[in-house]
Amino acid sequence: MEVKVEGGGEFCDASYEKICMSTLRDISLESNIDSVYMNCNAAEHVFIISVKIGRVQSPITVSDMTIRGDERLTVTTETYVPKLLDLLWDRYGEKVEQISRLEIALKIGDDEMQKLMSQVVYDPRVDLNTRILDGIDRILPEGARVRQPIHSSGRITIIASENPIKEEWKEKAKAMLSKMTKGDL
Amino acid sequence: MYKIMMFTGGVYKFSELKERVHDIGGFILQEMVMQTETMMHLAFPEEEERIIRDKAKETGGKLKELPLAGAEIMVVVPSLGKHHAVDPMCDIAEFLRRKGAITNMMGLARGVGKRIAQITAREKEIIEECDAAVFVFGDFKECLEVKSKICEAVDVPYIITGGEPEVNIEHYVGNIGRKTARMRHKEEIDMLELLTEKIELLINDRRRELDEDPLATSPLFMKEILDLVLPPKAGEEFSTIMQLEGLRVKVEAGDEEKLKNIEIGKRKLSDICEIKKSEYDGYILKILPEAVTGNVF
Repeated sequence: MEVKVEGGGEFCDASYEKICMSTLRDISLESNIDSVYMNCNAAEHVFIISVKIGRVQSPITVSDMTIRGDERLTVTTETYVPKLLDLLWDRYGEKVEQISRLEIALKIGDDEMQKLMSQVVYDPRVDLNTRILDGIDRILPEGARVRQPIHSSGRITIIASENPIKEEWKEKAKAMLSKMTKGDL
Repeated sequence: MYKIMMFTGGVYKFSELKERVHDIGGFILQEMVMQTETMMHLAFPEEEERIIRDKAKETGGKLKELPLAGAEIMVVVPSLGKHHAVDPMCDIAEFLRRKGAITNMMGLARGVGKRIAQITAREKEIIEECDAAVFVFGDFKECLEVKSKICEAVDVPYIITGGEPEVNIEHYVGNIGRKTARMRHKEEIDMLELLTEKIELLINDRRRELDEDPLATSPLFMKEILDLVLPPKAGEEFSTIMQLEGLRVKVEAGDEEKLKNIEIGKRKLSDICEIKKSEYDGYILKILPEAVTGNVF
């Protein structure tokens, strides 16, 4: 993930680069984002942030995170266990029992078990935009509560300020965006 | 003048050290015994330091100076949101506590932004109950310059911290700003040290002023008496907090009259103190100068 911050002065740019990196890493978005560009204009209190969405993990199926046993599943990736249990309880109710941290007993037939193994537990693409917007909210200064999104494919761009957003800032953001699309960021 | 230090060591001859502190007219402010480890905050007359140092050496323990002991400091952030808490707000508060201060943390209701940043009259009053304040702001120079104006309303010594290294603001410490991780690197610790030094200067100025116009009695002595008359409830910590000019006392509503009638020397507490219900917690007792109350003992 590449991060570039401009316009805030030497210290602020370095500080916000660190903030971008650690915030996106904290909410596990590091691998889903190609680059982040941020422009800070503290004098006019306008902040423009543009996030380029990168590769997104393919959907996680039951077979990706468990090993099938005799009427039981052994979890190999614990991260998605709450979502898996949610799915199993919803589908099979009392037939499901979590024996231990990584063992789930399932009283279902072989055919049903076969079908279950290809079921999607979690699709990271579903809530990707929400998670990126949450990350942006954490990065942008708290006082910049007036937000304006700029639409473009493969990117999420937000203008933020404490003042009403002027037309000239929108134009500036769009110009910046087209420059970025052509260039590296 | 009293000196406040922290003793850490073992249980060997610990009671003898406590006795020695009392013998020379000192006070035990805080004491903790954890199996074989001990920690104690002690106050004693400055001229008796040699005696305490010798005794501490005999017990095999260590003495550490607490330059901010006896002061209550408010750490103020623009909001309690994830942008400011827990870092660097808690790092700063923790560092001040290590230097002996009692810290409170406060998020302003409308402190965020540049033009829209405000401080309410109640927030100002709460901050002014403490001996000093540390305003923890963000990175941008332009915002810091505007925001520093809301701090000017506060009538206690204060320090402003922010990111930009050089800003033309009084009592400013830079290179801190917004953080997303704990301040544990050397250069960050150095900045926290610098911040503490600047607060220490402000607190010492106030202490010097109080020396020139001494209080009717020492807050240390008053704390000792209050702890005897109104002992802390089981599990309650810091029921009496020392301030430079008095105490913050956390008493139950019914005990207010009892508090006013406590005898300090020849006088009642209400005669030598201004008692005010705190906007935040408990009661604030502001000891009047001896010049106003006359001799108490």
